Amino acid sequence: MRVDDDRRAAIVAELPRLRRYARALLRDADRADDLVQDSVERALQRLDNWRTGENPRRWLFTIMHHLFIDQLRKVKRQVPAQSLDHEAALAVPSDQTDYSSARDICEALERIGADRRAALVLVSVEGFSYAEAANILGIPAGTLMSRVARGREELRALLDDQDRRRSIRVVET
Amino acid sequence: MNPRMYTENDIHLALDGEMPGDERAAYERWLDANPDMKARADRYAADRERLRRTLEPVLGQPVPPRLQQMLSQPGDRSQRLSWLARAAAAALIFVLGAAAGYGVGFVGRPSADAGTQAFVESALAAHRVYSAEKLHVVEVGADQRDHLVGWLSKRVGVAMAAPDLSPQGFRLIGGRLLPLGATGTAAQFMYEDVTGKRLSLYVTRQSGEEETGFRLETEGGVNALYWLDEGYGCVVAGDVPEAMLRGIADSAYRQLLQGPHA
Repeated sequence: MRVDDDRRAAIVAELPRLRRYARALLRDADRADDLVQDSVERALQRLDNWRTGENPRRWLFTIMHHLFIDQLRKVKRQVPAQSLDHEAALAVPSDQTDYSSARDICEALERIGADRRAALVLVSVEGFSYAEAANILGIPAGTLMSRVARGREELRALLDDQDRRRSIRVVET
Repeated sequence: MNPRMYTENDIHLALDGEMPGDERAAYERWLDANPDMKARADRYAADRERLRRTLEPVLGQPVPPRLQQMLSQPGDRSQRLSWLARAAAAALIFVLGAAAGYGVGFVGRPSADAGTQAFVESALAAHRVYSAEKLHVVEVGADQRDHLVGWLSKRVGVAMAAPDLSPQGFRLIGGRLLPLGATGTAAQFMYEDVTGKRLSLYVTRQSGEEETGFRLETEGGVNALYWLDEGYGCVVAGDVPEAMLRGIADSAYRQLLQGPHA
């Protein structure tokens, strides 16, 4: 049971990062933690599949990605869940003034395609190399690279758009 | 050697750390020669920073009990609970402080006694002097963080930590030892954001039993949030909005209670 204990401890150590990644993917805090919970459940069921020496972070992120994709397929057939003001929980208490900035970027992130969002966040926020991220997502490195680039461009375009709308609003009032 | 051609794609490679080191210099020259591409690279870098800063706080949030329980083992349970309890206590202090601030307002500052005033004055004076300093802003730099923390803990007589405020956009520059009153000492940690704006955290040992919530003092465009608790007297000062200062104070104090190796 010693090995299992070590593996559980390794999963515990990854929880904060899993939660951050889930939040980036889903925006809604509760849904994000549901995804983390499902991932941990799946990981615990498959503890024996975890090859000794395999990086726990990559293993767990891969599990989470599969569940995220499953979930997307299901959600497509449902009415989209309403996003509440979860950026409040995200930005507070550590950074209250960035509240609107946090809201803007979360909004933009949510609007870019899920494949691109996952690729961009894995590389840009979670700090995985292209090879590692491609491995987690189960795609060729070339595809990963183009998803990161397109995702980044799309995000910037959405932020430009927000800025433009805001300046129009300022002019109007 | 044939210098290779660079394209927009290289901006992504460079930003993501996927560009070989020996291509970097030529890439930088290419950027300098193409202001449009340079602007784009800067924007992408800024977006990444914003994304990281927005998501960073999740790492510091307590993990929900339902997740903890799934993984908890009899052996390590108590330890984790005590960490959670501490985090909860820090959050409570923050909430109480915020509530006191909104409810009572800081107009009268009813119970701030002379001693409290003195340490806040001293912190503000030190902030003014050293945040404006160009060459010798700190005595010991952030590159000697462990030494800095050990030294100041010893001299001030209370366990210190140099809080990581990077999620709030402030990088540690270093710190210095300061006199307080006739015989006392205090530590000052100085931080800076990307625009060069400075923020200081001032920490003294507090022998009295007094505890306060967060209180605000404003002087000459500098906001200072101070509190007494658990044997610490702390002041966070800077030319930043009050709400942001609260976030910073909360994070700094939580890290201070957790100790230098939390």
